Amino acid sequence: MKARMKDMMRVATARLGGEQQAGASSSSGYVRRDSTAVRTTRLGGDSLRRQPQPQAPTVRTVYCNDRDANAPVGYKGNSVSTTKYNVLTFLPKGLFEQFRRVANLYFLMISILSTTPISPVHPVTNVVPLSLVLLVSLIKEAFEDWKRFQNDMSINNAKVDILQDRDWESTPWKRLQVGDIVRIKKDGYFPADLLFLSSTNPDGVCYIETANLDGETNLKIRKALEKTWDYVLPEKVSEFKGEVQCEQPNNSLYTFTGNLIVDKQTIPLSPNQLLLRGCSLRNTEYIVGVVIFTGHETKVMMNSMNVPSKRSTLEKKLDKLILALFATLFMMCVIGAIGSGVFINQKYFYLGLRGHVEDQFNPKNRFVVTILTMFTLITLYSTIIPISLYVSIEMIKFIQCTQFINNDINMYHAESNTPALARTSNLNEELGQVEYIFSDKTGTLTRNLMEFFKCSIGGEMYGTGITEIEKGGAERAGIKIDNDEGKRSAAAIHEKGFNFDDARLMRGAWRNEPNPEACKEFFRCLAICHTVLPEGEETPEKISYQAASPDEAALVAAAKNFGFFFYRIPVSSVAFDKTPHDAGAIEVALTILRTPTTVVVRESHVERMGSIQDVSYEILNVLEFNSTRKRQSVVCRFPNGRLVLYCKGADNVVFERLADGNHDMKKISREHLEQFGSAGLRTLCLAYRDLNREQYESWNEKFVQAKSSLRDRDKKLDEVAELIEKDLILIGCTAIEDKLQEGVPACIETLSAAGIKIWVLTGDKMETAINIAYACNLVNNDTKQFIISSETDAIREVEDKGDPIEIARVIKDTVKQSLKNFHEEALRSLSRMPERKLALIIDGRCLMYALDPTLRVDLLGLSLSCHSVVCCRVSPLQKAQVASLVKKGARKITLSIGDGANDVSMIQAAHVGIGISGQEGMQAVMASDFAIAQFRFLTDLLLVHGRWSYLRLCKVITYFFYKNLTFTLTQFWFTFQTGFSGQRFYDDWFQSLYNVIFTALPVIIVGLFDKDVTASLSKRYPQLYKEGIRNSFFKWRVIAVWGFFAFYQSIVFYYFTAAASRHGHGSSGKILGLWDVSTMAFSCVVVTVNLRLLMACNSITRWHYISVAGSIVAWFVFIFIYSAIMTSFDRQENVYFVIYVLMSTFFFYLTILLVPVIALFGDFLYLSIQRWLYPYDYQVIQEMHRDDPHEYSMVQLPETSHLSPEEQRSYAISMLPRENSKHTGFAFDSPGYESFFASQQGVGVPHKPWDVARRASMKQRQQPQRPARS
Amino acid sequence: MSSSSAAAGTSNGGSVDAGGAARRNTRMPKYSKFTQQELPACKPILTPKWVVSVFFIVGVIFVPIGVVSLLAARDVVEIIDRYDEACVPSNMTENKLAYIQNSTISKNCTRTLRITKEMKQPIFVYYELDNFYQNHRRYVKSRNDAQLRDAKKPNQTSACEPERYTADGKPIVPCGLIAWSLFNDTYSFTRGNENLTVDKKDISWKSDREHKFGKDVYPSNFQNGSLIGGAKLNSSIPVHESYSALSYVVAYACRRESIVHVTSLSEQEDLIVWMRTAALPTFRKLYGRINIDLKQNDTITVNLLNNYNTYSFGGKKKLVLSTATWLGGKNDFLGYAYLIVGGLCIFLSFAFTLLYFIKPRLVFILISAAITMISVGLTGNWGTTTTCPGTDTLEAAKAPLGTP
Repeated sequence: MKARMKDMMRVATARLGGEQQAGASSSSGYVRRDSTAVRTTRLGGDSLRRQPQPQAPTVRTVYCNDRDANAPVGYKGNSVSTTKYNVLTFLPKGLFEQFRRVANLYFLMISILSTTPISPVHPVTNVVPLSLVLLVSLIKEAFEDWKRFQNDMSINNAKVDILQDRDWESTPWKRLQVGDIVRIKKDGYFPADLLFLSSTNPDGVCYIETANLDGETNLKIRKALEKTWDYVLPEKVSEFKGEVQCEQPNNSLYTFTGNLIVDKQTIPLSPNQLLLRGCSLRNTEYIVGVVIFTGHETKVMMNSMNVPSKRSTLEKKLDKLILALFATLFMMCVIGAIGSGVFINQKYFYLGLRGHVEDQFNPKNRFVVTILTMFTLITLYSTIIPISLYVSIEMIKFIQCTQFINNDINMYHAESNTPALARTSNLNEELGQVEYIFSDKTGTLTRNLMEFFKCSIGGEMYGTGITEIEKGGAERAGIKIDNDEGKRSAAAIHEKGFNFDDARLMRGAWRNEPNPEACKEFFRCLAICHTVLPEGEETPEKISYQAASPDEAALVAAAKNFGFFFYRIPVSSVAFDKTPHDAGAIEVALTILRTPTTVVVRESHVERMGSIQDVSYEILNVLEFNSTRKRQSVVCRFPNGRLVLYCKGADNVVFERLADGNHDMKKISREHLEQFGSAGLRTLCLAYRDLNREQYESWNEKFVQAKSSLRDRDKKLDEVAELIEKDLILIGCTAIEDKLQEGVPACIETLSAAGIKIWVLTGDKMETAINIAYACNLVNNDTKQFIISSETDAIREVEDKGDPIEIARVIKDTVKQSLKNFHEEALRSLSRMPERKLALIIDGRCLMYALDPTLRVDLLGLSLSCHSVVCCRVSPLQKAQVASLVKKGARKITLSIGDGANDVSMIQAAHVGIGISGQEGMQAVMASDFAIAQFRFLTDLLLVHGRWSYLRLCKVITYFFYKNLTFTLTQFWFTFQTGFSGQRFYDDWFQSLYNVIFTALPVIIVGLFDKDVTASLSKRYPQLYKEGIRNSFFKWRVIAVWGFFAFYQSIVFYYFTAAASRHGHGSSGKILGLWDVSTMAFSCVVVTVNLRLLMACNSITRWHYISVAGSIVAWFVFIFIYSAIMTSFDRQENVYFVIYVLMSTFFFYLTILLVPVIALFGDFLYLSIQRWLYPYDYQVIQEMHRDDPHEYSMVQLPETSHLSPEEQRSYAISMLPRENSKHTGFAFDSPGYESFFASQQGVGVPHKPWDVARRASMKQRQQPQRPARS
Repeated sequence: MSSSSAAAGTSNGGSVDAGGAARRNTRMPKYSKFTQQELPACKPILTPKWVVSVFFIVGVIFVPIGVVSLLAARDVVEIIDRYDEACVPSNMTENKLAYIQNSTISKNCTRTLRITKEMKQPIFVYYELDNFYQNHRRYVKSRNDAQLRDAKKPNQTSACEPERYTADGKPIVPCGLIAWSLFNDTYSFTRGNENLTVDKKDISWKSDREHKFGKDVYPSNFQNGSLIGGAKLNSSIPVHESYSALSYVVAYACRRESIVHVTSLSEQEDLIVWMRTAALPTFRKLYGRINIDLKQNDTITVNLLNNYNTYSFGGKKKLVLSTATWLGGKNDFLGYAYLIVGGLCIFLSFAFTLLYFIKPRLVFILISAAITMISVGLTGNWGTTTTCPGTDTLEAAKAPLGTP
C-alpha cells in the first residue's frame, strides 16, 4: 500500500510539473484541460486512500515496454485455457460430473451393493452397463475437451510481433506479458486487450471488426491518442515510455476508463483507444499497441461464463416417470421382502438353516431377513431403471441436431448463405410442443431493410408512395387502390435505402418550394448528423455506407439523392490549419477539440443549379445515440465559422426539447408523424440549433471534463448533452419503411392452424403494432380487439397535472378495470361465439402495471383466452416478463424468437429461444437455443423437426420404460417361486448386456429415423402439431398402456416358458434346469422386445431391419460363444452348454415361436383396435396418403420424373415462394425502452443486460484458421 | 447433389478457381437422404386388411402346430404315483417326521402300478418333488463348480456354506447344500416275477457329465457330518441292483483294491442330475429308463426305499413312469397354447372381417370427420384469401372419400 501511495504521489507531482510546463507554452484551453485531468487523478488518489482494502487496488498501473517494472505485480500470462479438465483431473472431475446424474449415482450405489453378499447378482451385472454408459459419456467429454484444448493450443501458439531490442520479433501469444508492445498486421487478431498507440494510417485511426464479440460485421473505428501517433517504427516505439493507469479487469465490453501518463502528461483514455482481444484489424496496414489485459483477464474472457442450460419439459416429465419407476421398484421390493420374511423356515432342511446361519436367511430373526432381502431385491430389480436411457437420448438428440436440423436444406437461406443452427441439443422435442410464440418484430417479422420513403419538411409533407399497410387498410375499407408501378413519376428513384417519389424535392427542385432554407437544413442534417462511414469510390453511384443501423444508412443515402452527397472523412481532418505535420499545432488543435473530424459533403445546387461544391464541415462534438437518450446530435462548424447543433431523434424526445413558438409547424408535424406512423413507417424528427461561440466554449469545457472523467462517464456525458440539446428548432421529420420478411403471414397462418398462439412484443407505437398484426394475419376485421392503452384522454389529463403518484394510481386503476371487463367479455364471447378470434393489445406502460403481482392473474386469464396478443412499446425486460408470465403462470411451453440485443432476455426467459441469424448482430443468436435465418423457417423447425423429435423421443422413452419393466417383472414373478429369496432368474451377463447390447441400437435407430408422416404432410396439415401441444404421446395414459402390456408380456414370458418346460423335452426324456428355462425365457424376451419396437415404428428403413435383426443375432451369437466357454474366472458356469442343449429340443423352437407371438398378440390387438376406432390425427393422415409415392425434397425433384401429376402439383405448390404480405409498416422503433421503463419501475438495469461477449470466446474457437491465413 | 454438380458446370465456363471458391464458401447443407431424413422406408399401416390377414395367417400356422403338438402329447402314456403318504406306516401317520428321521424303522415300501395303456420302451422313470425350492438363492449358490471339475481344487469350497468343511475342518467334496441334500429314495420294479432293470446310464446331460464333473474327482468327507441331508455317495450298494452310479466308493486308501469300484463324480449321474437345479419348486428329475415295453393292464410292483425327508416341509413325492415322443413328455401346455392362440386369431380375423363389412367402414367415417374438422380449421379460420399451402390438395383428398 505504501509503495502504491508513493506511486500515486509521484504521478501527481509529475503531472503538476507537466502542467506548469504546458501552461507556459500553450493556450489556456490546454491548461484547463490538463488541470481537470490532474483533478480527476487526485480524486482517484483520494478514493484510493479511503479504500479499506489495500490489497484490491481499483487501479491497475502498467509500465509500457518495461517488463522489469511490471514483474513485481505478477500479472497473469496471456495463455488461455478453456478446457474443463486436464490429464490429472479428467477422471475424478469427469466422473464427478457423471455421478451428479441421479441415475448414474443410483447405479453406482447398486454396484457397490452388488459386491456384498446380500446381492443375488454378481457385480458385473450392474458394473458393466454403468461402466459402458460412463465410458460413452466420458469419451464424449474427453473428445470435446480435446477439441477445446487443441483450439487453446493453436490460439496460444499463434504468432504476434512483439518489440524486442528495437525490432519486431515473432512470439507466440502465450508469451505476451502486460506492458509489452506489439504490432498487429492487417487482418490479424488482437492477442490481448491492447492500448492503441499508433497506426500506419496517418491520423492514428484503425478499423476493427468485432464479429467475434458481438457478431457485427460492420467496421468500427478506433482512434489512437494523438500523443502517440508517431510511434510506428520499431526504433521510435522502443523509445516509448509510458505508464497506463486504468481500471481493473472487468467484463464490460463497452467501457474503459484510464489515463496514459507519457512525457509527464496525463491523457485520459476511453474505449476508443482499447482494442479488445478477439477483434481483428481491417483496412490498416498495421498498428502498434501496449498490452493492458492478458489471457483470462481480457474483457472477452471475463465475459465467458456458462449460461445455465435449459431442460426440456419432456425431460422433466421423464423425471416423474423415473420416480414412478422408483416407486414401483420399492413396492416390488417390499412385497418380496415381506414374502421372504414369511417364507424363511427351518423346516426347509435342505436350505441348511440350522446352527449358525447368516443374517439374511436366519429364520430366528425374520425382521432382519426382511430388511436385508429388501436390499437384495433392490439390486436384483435395478434393471427397472433404464440406465442407458439418458445416454441414448443424448445421442439421439445430438444426431438430430447436428445431422438433421443443421443440415436441413429447407431451412437454408440462400441469400444470406445461412443454414439453420441448433446451438443446444437439449430442446429438440420441446420444439414439438410449443404453444406460445413470442416474436419480436423488427428483423424478425420485418426485414430490417430500411428505405427512405417519406418526409415532412417545414410543415410540408413530401413523398407520394403508398405503403403496403395503407393499401391493406384501404382494401379493408373497400377502396380499390391501383398498385401500378408504372404510374410512378419519372423522378422516382429506387435504390438501396431509398424509395422516394416526389418531383418537388428531386433534382434540386426543392429550391422552388415554399421553404428552401428548411429544406437545406434538413438535407444538411441528414448528411452531417450520423456515424456512417463511406466506403468505396467517391462517386454517388459507387459509394456504399457502413452504418450501425440501416436507418442511418438510409438517411445518408437520402441526403445523397437530394444532392447532399456525404462522401469523405478526410484523412487529415485537422481543420484549423493545413499543416498537419506540425506536431505542436496538431496537439494544440486536438486538445481543444475532442473529436477533430471533418466531414466533406459535396453539395450540388447550394446556391444555384449546376454548381457543385465540396463543403467541409468540422464536427466538433458527437453526442452519441443510446437507448436512454433516443437521439443523436453533432456540433459542427461550417466553413464560414457558423456553429450549429444538429439533432435527430425520436419524436417525443425531440419535441420535448424544442424552443418555444411556431406552434403551427409543430402541430402540423405532429399530424404528419401520426400519419406516417399509421402508415407503418418509422419516424425520426430532425432539429437544429445555432450556437454562438461563447455559449459553445463554456459548454465544451464541461463536455471535455465529462469526457475525461473516470467514473460514471456515460452518465456525466448524458447530463452535459442535456445542457446543449435544448431550444431546438424543428426542421421536419423523416419516414422510413420497413418491409415484412418473406413468407411471414403464411407462416403465421400455418402456425396458428397448428394451435400455436403468437404474441408480438414490440417497441413500436400502438398504431404501428396493430398494423403489423393486421399485416401478419394475426388480427383481422372479424377479430374482437381489446385495447389497453395509456394514451387515453383520462390519463393524459392526469399526466398534465404532473403528480407521478397520482398518475400511477390512475393508470393502475384503469388497467385493473379494463382487465376485469375485458376478461368477462372475452369469456362471454368465447362461450357464445367460440369461433370468433380475440386479440389483446396492450402498451408497455399499462403492461408494467398489469404485470404487478396483484393484477397478474387477471392479465394471464385475459391473455390466455385471446388468440393473439400484441404488446407495444415494451422494454426488453418486459418482453422477458411476459414470456415468463406465460411460462410459469400458465405452465405452457413458450418459444421466443428475435434478432436483436433487445430480445436476448426474452429468448433466455422462454422455454425455447430462437435467434434470427444471417443478419448483422449476433447477440440474439448467441443467446438462443436455435438459430434460423428467416422467421418462416419456424414452420419447418416446429412442424417438422420439433414434431418428429417429440414423437421419436416419446417413443424412445416409453419403449425404454416398457422393455425394462418387462424384463424386470419376469424376475419379479420368478421371485414368487423361489421362496422370495431373491434368486436371480437370468445369468449375470444376460442382465448386464440386456440394456447395453441386446436392446440398445434399435431404439436409437427409431429415435433417429421414425417418421409418421412426411415433412411436406406435416406442413400441409399443421393440425397434426396439436398432438404435441396436448402431449398426446407422453401422457400417463400412454405410459399406463405400455405398462399394462409390459405386465402382460412379462407374465407370458415367465409362466409360459416355465409351464412349457416342466416335463421332459425330447425323446431322451431328460429334464431342463433353471438356467435352461431362464435362457429360454431370455431369448423370448430379446426377440419379443425387439419385434415390439418394429411394431411401434411408423416407417421402417433398412437400418431398422439391420439393427433389430442385428440385436437378435447378437444375442444368439453371444449365447453360442458364452455357453461354449469355460473360464477359470470366478463364476458359476451355470449356462455352460445350455443353448446347445436347448437347441437340440423341439421344445425350444416351438416355444420361441409361441411365446413372442402370444406376447405381441395383446399389443397387436390393441394397436389395430386403437387405429381402427380411435385413430390419432397422424394415423388418419397416414391412411389418407398411404398410396403417395415416396417424397423427395426439391433438390432431387428434377430427377424424379416418376411422380404422379398430383404429386408434382403438390410439390409445385409447396415449392412456390410463399406469398408476400399485403401489409407492411412500422414506426420508429427504438431499440431500448428498457432504461426508461426500468427507471420508472425502480429497477436498475445493468449496463447491457444482454451483454454478449461470453460468446465471443466461443467464437474464438473458430479463430485459429484465420490468423494462419494472414 | 444436383446443385453442386450445377456449380461445377458453371465453373467450367468461367474461372475454375472462382467456381471452386464459390462452392467452398456456400454453407448450403449437402443433400443426402440421411440428413434430409428421406431414407427409403416402408410404412406399415395396420389397416383392417392387414390386421385381418395377420390374424388369419397366424391362425393358419398355429392351429396345425397345436394339433400336432397335442397329438404328440396325447401319445405319451404317463403313470403317476404319489407315495409319500402311503409309505408311512399307518401307526405313524400322525408323526411322519419321527418316522422318516428314525433310522431304525425300515423304509421299505411296496407300491403296485397298473399300466393303463401300452407303453413302448424306453419308459422313463422320474421322481417328482413338490414344495422343494431348489431355486432358493441360498441353495442355488451353494456349490463350487471348480471343485467339482478339477481334482486339484478340493479346497475350493467358497459359497458352499454351511456344507463346506467337516467338523474337523477338512473340505467336503462335493461341497454345498445341493450335493448334501441329494435325493436318496430308490426304486426297483418287477412285473410278475420278472425284474425290470432300470438303466441309469445317460440320464444326465452329456455336457454336464463331460465338462462340469471331473473324471478324476472323487468324493471325500461327503455326508460325514452329524446331519445327513440325503444320499451318500460312498454307500455300498450291490452292483447287480444296477446302482452303478452309486456303486462302491471308498476312501483313497482302498483304491488299489480291485474288488471295489471307485467312481468319479462324472459317473455319479444321479448327483449330476440333481445338481442341475430345477427352475420351479415343483420339479421332476430323471431316475432311469426301463428298456422293456409294458403292455396294457400289466401290473408293476415297485419296491422303494422311502428315505428322503419331504415330510418336514410337507412336500409330495411322486413316482412317474412316462414314455416320450419327439416333443418329450406328457405336456399338453404347448399344444393347447398353440391351438387356443391359433383359434383366437382365426376367430378375430373373421370378427374383424365381419366388423369391416357390416359396420360400414367406421374408420372412414372417422376420417371424413377429421377432414371436415381440418378443412373448417383451414378455411373458416381467417376469412381471408391467403391460403395455406395444401388447401388444394385437401380438396383433392376429400374427393375419393365421397364414395364410401
